[in-house]
Amino acid sequence: MRAPLKRKLFRQFLLPAGLLTVAAMASLAVFFPGTGAGASGHADASQVSTNAKAVLKACGSVNTKGVSPIPNTGNPFTSTNLICHSGGLISYGNDSITYANPPASYVAAGRQLFAQTCSSCHGNEANGVGPGGQATIGPNLQGVGAATVDFWVSSGRMPATDVKAVEAERKPSRLTPKQALELAAFVNSLDPAVPAVPYPHLQGANQSVGASLFSLNCAACHTITGAGDALAFGTNAPSLQNRAVTPQQVAEAIRIGPANMPRFSGNLSDAQVRDIVSYVTGRLQHPTNPGGFGLGGVGPVAEGFVALLIGVGGLALVCFWIGERS
Amino acid sequence: MSDAADHQPSRTRVPIPVAALSDPHMGDAARHPKRVENIIAVVFVVAMIFFGLAGAAYWQNWNVWTFGGALGGGLFALGFGLTAWGKYLMPQGPFVEERHVLASAPDERDSMSAALVERTAVVVRRRKVLGGLFAAGAGIFGIVAAFPLIRSLGPVPGDELDVNQWKAGSVLVDSNGRPVRRDTLVIGGIMTVYPRSQMRVEDGQVTFTDQGLATDQTVLVRVSNEPFTTVPGRENWTPDGYVAYSKVCTHLGCPVGLYEQDLELLVCPCHQSMFNVRNGAVPQFGPAPRPLPQLPLGYNDQGYLIATASYDQPLGPGFFERTTT
Repeated sequence: MRAPLKRKLFRQFLLPAGLLTVAAMASLAVFFPGTGAGASGHADASQVSTNAKAVLKACGSVNTKGVSPIPNTGNPFTSTNLICHSGGLISYGNDSITYANPPASYVAAGRQLFAQTCSSCHGNEANGVGPGGQATIGPNLQGVGAATVDFWVSSGRMPATDVKAVEAERKPSRLTPKQALELAAFVNSLDPAVPAVPYPHLQGANQSVGASLFSLNCAACHTITGAGDALAFGTNAPSLQNRAVTPQQVAEAIRIGPANMPRFSGNLSDAQVRDIVSYVTGRLQHPTNPGGFGLGGVGPVAEGFVALLIGVGGLALVCFWIGERS
Repeated sequence: MSDAADHQPSRTRVPIPVAALSDPHMGDAARHPKRVENIIAVVFVVAMIFFGLAGAAYWQNWNVWTFGGALGGGLFALGFGLTAWGKYLMPQGPFVEERHVLASAPDERDSMSAALVERTAVVVRRRKVLGGLFAAGAGIFGIVAAFPLIRSLGPVPGDELDVNQWKAGSVLVDSNGRPVRRDTLVIGGIMTVYPRSQMRVEDGQVTFTDQGLATDQTVLVRVSNEPFTTVPGRENWTPDGYVAYSKVCTHLGCPVGLYEQDLELLVCPCHQSMFNVRNGAVPQFGPAPRPLPQLPLGYNDQGYLIATASYDQPLGPGFFERTTT
């Protein structure tokens, strides 16, 4: 009696259980494959290849107070490529980012647009001086560079809806991207400055390097998931998970440091900025959420709330039902 | 021994009463067992469909929601069906199981006590040895367990918490080991720097030999183009408007990495302590009890930013032996 029972037990229970375990292990291995591709080394080739004096003549005078002279960090005169034409800076940069000023033909349209939408707060000449010589509500915009104007307008922060607000919030832009560039062309024509509008070349970007640079430089304010967070005195770091945020805007924000955001100049090379941009627009804006539910990526409070209320609450209800006498 | 054998079956002789189905305590599990059975059957079929869907989602690599939802739905349906089966189709109690008589037969007890008496002498001697060994084992355990207690009464940490790797002449470098130049940052810029006092240049490549501690991390901020004085007595600590503070919060040691360039405030992300970088990082708000320690800055011969001295106080949160304020 004993032996057949044992055999039966083996056949009907132990054998299937063993097979099931093997199958479960195999499926686990399929689900969580080892993360093979790690961070590869990221050479930061930075070399001066242009003669600043020679190009200065062709480029006219350019206000470079907003950028560091360290090579390939957004300064035209220490960039690998520099194109100037008849006393005007056309474009500069390298394999990672091309910075380009809007074409001079945009200036006329920009002047008209500026008079209609911006001059009441920034003055007719964008210098922060009103018609009566008094200071305007908005700051002086001369010498900020095309990237600054393009960032504030294309992200919808300008024109502002509430000029007394602590911080202009991102909203759908009232102007088209081309109109933003026209405004940038006009403002930049008054006092040519850099940075010009950055166009990152994301093909060669290293997202792994971008992720580690993001955690070091950006995550303190924008949080590690890019969800954004409140800061001091009514200000906040906006969410970067918003897919309307373009690579161009991320690169602009890093280089110009809008409002309370620090300005990253000589400490981030163009290659590093490109890696961060690639990580933000490629990864942060498209989270994989292996758990299925990201909960906005706002951190352990939201997750704990859901776990306690829905998880534990649901379990309690099930326990009540199981334990209740029918 | 034959007596004991006679008494052996006494355990099975006692009948174990089981609640009969006609027992008045036994309530009806379900008023309509047939209907419940149908429902449970449907639930099990639903579980099968869900599991099939989960399998298909796995093979076809559909999205995680389909796979997780199907797997979860299937398991829930299985569990629901089993629980409902137990609740509504199984007879419900209360059931009473009577115990059999616990006491042994009288002669069994007699022979047991006789055996004990007969062997007492031997048993006691053996117990002495075992007892001694047990006491020795427990004693050693007790002594070892007291080690941490004794150690905690021992030498105090000394100046371990007061020291850091910043020395006079330490070059400020970023996380990639690159030194910071006069023009690395423009106004409104911030970066995290570490000390590298041993700098070696080979074929134009700069390498460093010593490693900074986590507590050495320092925020370098450029506030203006001109030097300024954060607090009296710290003149010439901020060349070209560069100012450096310990990144370790004096409250609980979080990295104070948030810099608001318009407000010129460093903010700690953990408890919102705010430090004004212009006036020596005195806390403006929040639970931080002390200002962030400031690092005096200067330049070396090669034009790299260096610390002209170490921090003048311990870094990070307060501790018992801390003497400086």
